[in-house]
Amino acid sequence: MADKMAKYRTEIQQMMFVSGETGEPSAETTTLIESIVQQQVQEMLRECTALATRRGSRSISTDDLMMLIRHDKAKISRLRHFLQWKDVRRSVKDNSDEKGGDATADIGAGDADLATGIVAGSGPAVETGKKAKRAKVDLVWDVQSFFNENVPARDDVEDEEEEEMNYATLQRLKNADERTKNMTREEYVHWSDCRQASFTFRKGKRFKEWAGFGIITDSKPNDDIIDILGFLTFEIVQTLTEEALKVKDAEDLYKKETGGEPQNRMKRKRESGLFDPPEEAREPVQPSHVQEAYRRLQRSNNKSRAMLNFSRNIHRSALKLI
Amino acid sequence: MFAANNPSHRPSSRQGSYGAHRLSGQLPNAIRLRTPNMSDDGAMSNGSGNNSGEGGDTMGEEDPRAAEFREHFELTEARLMAALGDGKKASRRDGMDLGNDAPPETASAVEEPRPTITPRKPVRTIDEEDYGDDDEGDDDDEDRASPLFSKSAPNPGALTTLDPPSLKVPPLLTKQGIERISTPTSEQVKTSDDVRKKLQQDKKAEEDAARRSFHTLFYTLENDRDAMLEQQKLDELDRQVETEMSGQPVNTISSGAGAPVQQGTLSTTNLGASSLTLKHLIARIDAKRDMVHATDAQLRSLISEVRKNRSKWANEDRIGQEELYESMEKVLMELKATEHAHPFLQRVNKREAPDYYTVIKHPMDIGTMMKKLKQLQYKSKKEFVDDLMLIWSNCLKYNADPAHYLRKKALYMKKETEKLVPLIPDIVVRDRAEVEAEERRMRNGDVDIDGAEDSEDEEPIMASRGRKAPSKGGKGANPARKAPPAGLEGTPGPETKPTMPSLNNVVSNLKNEFLRTDSDLSMEGSLNGFSTPPPGTLTPVGPNGIFRSGAPGSQADVSEADGTGNSVSGLTLETEDADLDDLEYKTWKQITKKDRAIIAAERNRLFRGDHLNVEEPAILRSKAGMRRWLRHRKQALEEDTTEGTTSAPDGKDGVQGTSGETLAEGIEGEDERQVPDYYDIVSAIPDLVDRLKWVEDSENQVIDQAEEFMRMVPKGYFTSPESNLTKKMEANMRQMQDTRKICAKIGIVKQMQLQSQMYQNQFQKYDPRPFVEADIEPLVVSDDGPIMSPYVCRAALQRSVGKIFYHAGFEEFQPSALDAVTDIASNFFTQLVRTLGVYREAPKMKVEDTAENTVGAQATLRPRFTREETILHCLHENGVDLETLEGYVKEDVERLGTKLAAMHDRMKSHLAELLRPALDSSAGVDGAGAFNDGSEQFVGGDFAEDIDEDFFGFKELGLDKEFGLASLSVPLHLLQNRMHNAFQAQNTSNTSTTGVLLEQPPPYEPVTIRNVTSQIGLVQEWFRAKLHDNNNEPLLEDEDLPVKQRFPKPRLPPTGKISSPRKRPLREQQQMARKKRKLDEGKDDNPTNMNGSGAVNGNGLLKGLGKPVGKLKLEMPGHQKENQAIAEPEKDDGSAVGMISPESIGAV
Repeated sequence: MADKMAKYRTEIQQMMFVSGETGEPSAETTTLIESIVQQQVQEMLRECTALATRRGSRSISTDDLMMLIRHDKAKISRLRHFLQWKDVRRSVKDNSDEKGGDATADIGAGDADLATGIVAGSGPAVETGKKAKRAKVDLVWDVQSFFNENVPARDDVEDEEEEEMNYATLQRLKNADERTKNMTREEYVHWSDCRQASFTFRKGKRFKEWAGFGIITDSKPNDDIIDILGFLTFEIVQTLTEEALKVKDAEDLYKKETGGEPQNRMKRKRESGLFDPPEEAREPVQPSHVQEAYRRLQRSNNKSRAMLNFSRNIHRSALKLI
Repeated sequence: MFAANNPSHRPSSRQGSYGAHRLSGQLPNAIRLRTPNMSDDGAMSNGSGNNSGEGGDTMGEEDPRAAEFREHFELTEARLMAALGDGKKASRRDGMDLGNDAPPETASAVEEPRPTITPRKPVRTIDEEDYGDDDEGDDDDEDRASPLFSKSAPNPGALTTLDPPSLKVPPLLTKQGIERISTPTSEQVKTSDDVRKKLQQDKKAEEDAARRSFHTLFYTLENDRDAMLEQQKLDELDRQVETEMSGQPVNTISSGAGAPVQQGTLSTTNLGASSLTLKHLIARIDAKRDMVHATDAQLRSLISEVRKNRSKWANEDRIGQEELYESMEKVLMELKATEHAHPFLQRVNKREAPDYYTVIKHPMDIGTMMKKLKQLQYKSKKEFVDDLMLIWSNCLKYNADPAHYLRKKALYMKKETEKLVPLIPDIVVRDRAEVEAEERRMRNGDVDIDGAEDSEDEEPIMASRGRKAPSKGGKGANPARKAPPAGLEGTPGPETKPTMPSLNNVVSNLKNEFLRTDSDLSMEGSLNGFSTPPPGTLTPVGPNGIFRSGAPGSQADVSEADGTGNSVSGLTLETEDADLDDLEYKTWKQITKKDRAIIAAERNRLFRGDHLNVEEPAILRSKAGMRRWLRHRKQALEEDTTEGTTSAPDGKDGVQGTSGETLAEGIEGEDERQVPDYYDIVSAIPDLVDRLKWVEDSENQVIDQAEEFMRMVPKGYFTSPESNLTKKMEANMRQMQDTRKICAKIGIVKQMQLQSQMYQNQFQKYDPRPFVEADIEPLVVSDDGPIMSPYVCRAALQRSVGKIFYHAGFEEFQPSALDAVTDIASNFFTQLVRTLGVYREAPKMKVEDTAENTVGAQATLRPRFTREETILHCLHENGVDLETLEGYVKEDVERLGTKLAAMHDRMKSHLAELLRPALDSSAGVDGAGAFNDGSEQFVGGDFAEDIDEDFFGFKELGLDKEFGLASLSVPLHLLQNRMHNAFQAQNTSNTSTTGVLLEQPPPYEPVTIRNVTSQIGLVQEWFRAKLHDNNNEPLLEDEDLPVKQRFPKPRLPPTGKISSPRKRPLREQQQMARKKRKLDEGKDDNPTNMNGSGAVNGNGLLKGLGKPVGKLKLEMPGHQKENQAIAEPEKDDGSAVGMISPESIGAV
């Protein structure tokens, strides 16, 4: 928070830690990531507003946001999953409010938790949640929108699609499980703390300001929208970090093969694994890695310029959402 | 004098006479020329026969009878042969008879026909390939025939000796006078002739080879322009010569025309090639000359008229002219046609070279030579050759700079000339009169040495003749008298020259030449190593010197330079430079120059000014060209058929072959071109398809082949192909339609639940029809390939887009959206295909054949990309990959199908819930089956709960608890009878009564006056009254009345009593009933009945059912049934009243 720009340094650090970065990323790195995320969010909001305007509405809806990421099926399914569990939690909360139970003390804090499907620690809530009818988050372009009558869904229909969207989530869970397997109790606490890092949770006002609500779009967004944005920002940081780590690995490998860097010593230390201190020694990703990762993620595919083939038009690519 | 077959000798000898001719005028030359002739005469008649001239003649004199007899025999035989076959055979027969097969080269008396042939032979063979054989045959004939003559003289065989000299000698005279010099040199004569022939053959072979090779090489058009320009110039030249010629009539020809009668032998006449065929006739006439009462001239003109194939040069009064001029002309033409001839075609213009005529004293050019040729100014080969050489030497002289480009051309031309010159027979044109005179003198001299009387008669004639053609005759006449002594000597003076002085000659020539041509060059002396004497003193050599001394400025000498001194002179470099092209290309250029020029001119005409000139006449195939084309085609076809199947190409009977070409063949024969077919624009016209040809059958009716050529466009051209994907998509679409149908019903039901009032047209039936892709009308096209119809193609694409839209869930869409997406799609596909093209046409790669490690492992060309690669690349370029496509099929088609099916089920069950229980599966088609189990649900209704309605107030009254009613609802269809009616109005065909219900009874017969009696007596009167009221018209049933006139239907209460008169309107009736009810309050059965009738009769009584709810408690199921039983027959229309048509809702 030292400088004006960096408002989410710790959050980003935590998210990066969850995403696989073990070291302590420098302030430059987090600032860079933060600015990227900010740009992405603002772009999203802009696009959403455009979509909403085209639809004839002044305020953006969750559908607009989903529309933006419609091509990333895995992300969509994760988002749906997230929204479903959010519903579950809300109903559970309602129920337990009625019951006056205390088990739901920090349910709201579990946004990011739920986003990655970690439900540990909130056992009873989950139980009730499972019992409660899980509201299915429907996509606008899905089949039921074909017809003008809405029919109650059947419970017994278990989509294979749902399985698929669970698959992506499960993959991440598995990775997280691998990492946490050997953690000590303290480490795990730290880990689960980090997992709750969010751009939006309980920082709604700051987030709105940061993301440019009121300037780009109307200032009173839906809660759902804020939640979705919180989820998406987390996803962005995660993707960036993973890509940056890949870049760094490649670089390290290259350096090792050419063998011409003074950091040889450190690398050798990392190679032999048996008695090494697990992850502390690793050096964090540098801003350059993040930049490279960002470049890779921004690389446009042929599809966007396919229609410009055989013409002399220059392809101006829009910002790609990560 | 052309005895030398040694090339080093030849020029020298030529040189000698040549210089003489050029410089000293004609007199000395004539002397020199004539002398060998005269000597030849002697030599021939004496030497060749190994006899003295007298001996030969005496031999002939000895047995005239025998000779005559033999001649007779021969003649008759020849006639026989002529009758049987042609002259060819006859002559061959003669040859056989004589048993002579000596080689034709034994140049001899009957060389006579040969020269006429020889110049023509190359021409013909070039022009008409097909006649090559004939030519050969002719040659053979002549060759065979020639021994007959040739052997006759030299061979001591009985036959020849018997021949009368009058027959044989004259030809020998003319011919050998030209060709033979003396007996010792006869060998050389032979070889010179040999050389000529060989040269011709070589040339011909070369041309043939070149022509063959034309087809193996592609020649470009780059030289065509030059060729065309040159040709134009040549044509111009020709015209010019023509006009100049026409100014002055040909005097030379006329000179001999008025020749007085001369009784000589006919056979002396040069009759050209055909004289051979006529030879027996001529011989015969000659033999019986005194019996023929005709003058020589008459005979000659007669014969010459009969003769064919005379060339334009032919002139019987000028012996040797035809052969000489033909060959000369040919040489000139060839030279003209060479590519380097261009600068020499016309006189040098004074403006171009102001000092030219000061340097060059005797200008000469090809055009002038043409002129001279046409004016018959050339007397001999020598004159002609001299002129030619003069041209080149002029050029060399004027353009002294060794690097001058014209020098190269001149040297080249000179070389060409030297190649061609041997083709010209060495003939000196002589006047007939002269020859005859000579001949006569000879005879006179031979037969009777001092026979002055005989000769006296003819001398004047001869002399007069000679005078008539002074220009030529003057020359010829003098030697004619001088010659005999020389001829008798047998050793003419000049003949000694070739043996010894020839060397000197060469040397002197060279010296001369260098002196003159290269006088500018200072080093010339050192170059050739010869001392260079001053011009005046250079000629110490015999006769040459004499002649040359008079010619100080002779440019002509240079022309001989390269014949001998090529290797020595400094000119060699240039001469070798002269031809840069290889031989083949040169030949190509030369041979085809004219044709190329013509073709290029045609092209030029069409494309002048860099654009297509529409007005110009089209390039058409000439008749000859067409014939040739047909011939080639036929050959090709025959080859095809022989190697392939034997099926006829047309497969049609009665089709006349286009074999009429032979008739007109040769008429336009000269049209034949030298260029290979690909060069000719006209032969580039593509073949006609057989079916498009204009073909006539045997009755000359045109066979219409159009139908065969047409073809139907196959069906399905514009519909989506049958594929799994299509099927799946269509299935999805059907599923969607069905689901939408259910949706519509759900919507109606929901609407009905909300609305208390229904309107007739409120609910349109949703009944989508299945999608059918319409194909185009049956269409006939005459062409292969795709149908180019942008409109239809676009419509088809639009339909596909629409389908995809529907498949994506849009039931309706705006046309503009459809258009936009269609445009984008077509754009995309266009680019896809273009990308495909780019990848497919990528340059081929060279691939080493690694499979075979043989020595000849050759690099083969392989396409850069395989097809698969091409497609993948192209998809990638356009942002599509296989995963995306597969994903689409999996996600958006297959999974959508399952989702849709699930959705359909959900909808269906939802609707079923809404309509329960009437639509049990056991209810049957129209729901009538629902009654079969005796259920009371239609009475009690058990779905009021779902609707959440307590219509009857059962709940309010607590009846549900009292009776244990399962539900409180009234069946929907009972509630919404009007909906049913509306439904029925919409689909009248959908009668709801089926199955279980009774059939409608036949309608009653209308009551008329006639059949009223068949009614029972009681009502007869009543009917009669009715009929009377109705003016005796048939009575109408109430149902058939118009609605307004209809009486309210009689209601028979359960009591069976007719309580009210019919005519009372319903309302009154009801009021009455009410009154009655009030009166009869307390009676039990009444409300029950009312209820029952209400249930059955629908809305009519529902209104009347305002209050009587209270009595309902008495209603019992059993009653209900009875009521139904009673009520059923009462119904007039027989429709299942009140039941919503099960098809309308239940049929899912």
